[in-house]
Order: sequence, then C-alpha cells, then structure tokens
Amino acid sequence: MAVAKVRKPPMGGIGKRVAYYPGCSLEGAARAYDVSVRIVAKELGLELDYIEDYNCCGAMETKNVTFWGTMLLNARNMSLARRQGHNAIVAPCNGCSFSLQRAEYFLETDKNVLERINSLLREGGVDPLTEIPHTYHVLEWFYHEAGPEKVKEKTKKPLRGLKVANYYGCLYTRPHFYSRTYSHGGGNEEGARPRMRETADDDEHPYYMDALLEAAGATSVDFEPMHTQCCGGPHSLSDEQVSEKFVMMILQNAKRNGADIIATECPLCHASLEMYRHRLMMKGVPDVDLPAAYFTQLLGLAFGYSANDVKLKDNLSDPLLVLKRLGLA
Amino acid sequence: MAIHERSLVEPERVLRKERLVIDGVDVSGDWNLIILPRVINDYDLSFLDEVLQQPEGKTILQCYQCSYCTASCPVHNYWDERYNPRHFIHLARLGLIDELQKRADVMWRCVSCHKCTHRCPKGVLVEEVLKAILRVMAKRGVIEEYPSKKFDKFFLESVYEYGRIEDGELLFGWIEKQGYEVVKDPILKKPIPFMGGVPEWLKQLAMKPIKNLNIDFLILNAKHMLFHPKTKDWNRFKQVLRKVMDEEGVYAH
Repeated sequence: MAVAKVRKPPMGGIGKRVAYYPGCSLEGAARAYDVSVRIVAKELGLELDYIEDYNCCGAMETKNVTFWGTMLLNARNMSLARRQGHNAIVAPCNGCSFSLQRAEYFLETDKNVLERINSLLREGGVDPLTEIPHTYHVLEWFYHEAGPEKVKEKTKKPLRGLKVANYYGCLYTRPHFYSRTYSHGGGNEEGARPRMRETADDDEHPYYMDALLEAAGATSVDFEPMHTQCCGGPHSLSDEQVSEKFVMMILQNAKRNGADIIATECPLCHASLEMYRHRLMMKGVPDVDLPAAYFTQLLGLAFGYSANDVKLKDNLSDPLLVLKRLGLA
Repeated sequence: MAIHERSLVEPERVLRKERLVIDGVDVSGDWNLIILPRVINDYDLSFLDEVLQQPEGKTILQCYQCSYCTASCPVHNYWDERYNPRHFIHLARLGLIDELQKRADVMWRCVSCHKCTHRCPKGVLVEEVLKAILRVMAKRGVIEEYPSKKFDKFFLESVYEYGRIEDGELLFGWIEKQGYEVVKDPILKKPIPFMGGVPEWLKQLAMKPIKNLNIDFLILNAKHMLFHPKTKDWNRFKQVLRKVMDEEGVYAH
C-alpha cells in the first residue's frame, strides 16, 4: 500500500515485569501460544507475572447480553492484578485485551460506573479499584520493551526465505477509544483522539508484528487491507456462512500475494482460520491452503528453539510441512 | 424537515396484473396494493429513550448520518447490503419500530469488528449502540431469538457457572445445540469428539492430534473436559454477578 511507514522506535515505559492475563483459551486449546509467549518473553529479558485465580474476561459474547456483568468480570481481573502490585496488564489475546481495555475506558470516563463497580467488588469480596491498571497487547509490549534490535540480536536461526502474511485481526487496533491507537491520517490531534497512547500501534496500518518478524529474518508480504479484516470473530460458531466467507477472503488474499504462512496473534482468529481453512479445503475452494502459526512460535524457532518446544504440532493446519521445506524446523 | 426514508414500494405489496382492463382502459402492469402515507406520524420516541438508558447507547445522539460506518462495514460490503448501521441508527432515533423489525433477519449479523466505531468522526460507539438497539428490540419482543444471542447466552452460562470457559465444552455443547448427535460416554456424560453425528470437518480436525501423536496436548484437553477449569472462591462473586444480571433482566428476555 502506498503508505509511507515511519516506524516508531521502541519507547519502553510499560515495564519489564508485568501482570500476565493469559485468558482461558491459552490454557487449553491454544496452549502453544502460551508456551511460546513465555519462551519469547524469557529470551527478550522480560518477565510475566501470572495473575492467580483470574476469571474469564467475557470475550465478545457476554458484553452483548450484560453490560454490568462484563464490567464486573473485568474489574475483578484488574483488581487481582493490582493486588499483585502491577499497573500494567499484558494479554496475548485480542479478545481479552479488548475486554480489559473496554472496561478501562468505561471505568475511566464514567465516574458512576467506577463507583458502582467498586461497591459491587467489595460485595463480592475483592479489593475495590483505587487505580485502574492499563492493558497492553503482548505485541505492543514486545515491541516497546524489547524491540526489533533485541530480536535481531537474539536470533540464532534466521527465518530466511519465509514469506509471512501478518494477520492482526480486528480488535488489536480498533476501536481507538479502547486500544488507544494513533493514526497516520491526521486524526492524532489532541481533540480527535483524546485517549491516544504513545506506544500504541498504527490504527489502519499496524506494523509491530511485521517489524519483529522481519528482525527475525522473515519477509512480510503485503496483504492490506485483509490484515485487519474480521475472521468472523464472535460469530465463528454462530454464523458459519459469514465467517466462512471472511476467512476465505483472508486466506486467498494472503496466498495470492505469495505468502508461505500466516502469522496470527489471537487464539480466536487462529482457531477460526484453521477451522474454516479445513472446511474450505474439503469443499475444494482454491488458494486457501495456507498454514497458520502464532507469531511467537515463529520467533521461538528463530531464537533456536525446536518445533517441539514451541508446540508446532498443536497447530491443526500443519505449518511444519512448510517450515521443514524451507529448512527452518 | 429532512426526507425520512421509508420504502414505499415493497415486493410483498406489489400486485402484478398481466391483463387488466377497466372501463376499456388497459391498466396491466405492477400495482402497489396500499399506498402508504408519505408523512410519518407514528414516531415512537420512547424507543430512543430506552436506547439512551442502556449504558452503551448514550452516544447515539451524536450521529450525524455520514455513513462512514456503513462504508467500512464488512458485513455490508461482503455479505448483505441490507445490513446498514447508519440506517439502523436513523430508524432507532425516529422510533420506526416496524421498519426495524423488517430488518430483524440481518440486524444480528454484526461480527463486532469495530471498524464502524473506530472510524466514526463523531465518536459514536456504533457497534455498542447497535447492540443496545438489539437489546431494546428484544425487550419489546420485536425480534426473535437469533443465533448469535443464543451463543452469547450459552457462553455466559459457562462463565457464570465456573468463572472460566473450556473450548471443548463450548464447541461440542454448541454443536449439540445445533441438533447434531453427539455421542457421550456413559459414565461421565462427556462428549466423544470423533463419534456420532458430529460434522465431518470436526471429526477430521479432532483426529489430527491423535494422528500426530500429540500426546500431551490430548491429555491436557481431556483433563479439561473431565475437570472443568474453575476460578477459586467463585461462589461469593457469582452471587453478585447474579444480582447484577437479574437487575438487567438478562434471563427475562
């Protein structure tokens, strides 16, 4: 795309040691992401402090049914992070980081919400929130606390020759109210984006994943605007027709732009892509045969870990075949 | 006064006459059965008030109908042109409930990608406003239970019960709700993924970890299926959650 990309330098300011909110998926079907996030964080000299006894964030589902219930679920997690002495929460899942950031938005902008939630928290036996912790996506944290230079330094086995389509999904940069993204297109004046955060990614043309994987030796293929196109998200199971079409568009676009593999950063996007890829292939749809891997799995490989260490077998779309062909795993 | 949209000619009202001669004049062709009045006088402003009472619905008044949301919307662009967020907001503000009702079959299709909210120049939380409109419609009984809401409630039940969700339970529970036959083991009543009337694609995917001999992955997921992951000390918090949800009327509609 014809966007002049001025990439930000890593700025720090989030903290080397943060509260880690993995979310339910990462402890079950998406454990490969959890394992690889921990590996990459360790290699980059960062520390994750697991939030003990957390609960589900409500994802994209409960918010449609109950506003206060969802606020309460997220406020509880925030309170637990505060109890462990953290002001920054890192979530690797788009859905989780969205939910926590959404709660942050309503708690910060609406005094009534904060008051009511605090009294409800007290009732539920959890410390009320005196200070509201900020939530960051793991990608933002890696980029600003470690940065591409550090990744390059740590890379032992560069991902040479691997063409990656970096798929960011919807909620990593959207909406700017919650994710606090800045904009290239002049929308970054004080009035237009009052909650903008310096460390946040570009809204329409995110590049943090591109930068990290390029530093590890991979080549990013250009597949805008599908890199932030929805995969069906919360409707992956309940609205199969729409999800199938969206996934088809994403996979075909990436494949036709020459990608070998699609790099993901959200367990739901990942599962949705793999599930519908299989179904589309069963139907004989052309150009959807593209495996998916978490970006942390690819970074782990570049840092010299084996395919087994980063649990590449867990991926249902067989990225091992491609990576073996290129001599990377 | 702006020109309010109301489709005057609707397919179901059109009467087609192949040969119709009245008083010697040939009037064959398409006839509109009932000509609706062009002036709308059945505003129901209480609908807007109800949307405004929803915590996420407050920003609805800021909308100036520029249609940036619709232009961004993937459901509008790639699925169904009748899905039009700008128009839904317009209709909700006028309180034209019958017009909203006509679009009930597409209104739930929003995939929550938040392009609309992100790009709105007026700071309307479009996605949330649309969900608030849907909720008010459900409260008034003008929209039937739609698939995504069924799923939302199904999801919420799991969160409410255990504090955590479990992927396998969610997936197979939903498949079963869709009317597929899921075989369960006789003792623990847990689903067996690769048996019974489960869709073929799911059987094949469930077989993959077995084919790959991914033993520790299988053990982990089997463990989670048998012993649902739980949040400790959930019971006290659960009661507060229940109270809040009852106030909102989550289970009432």
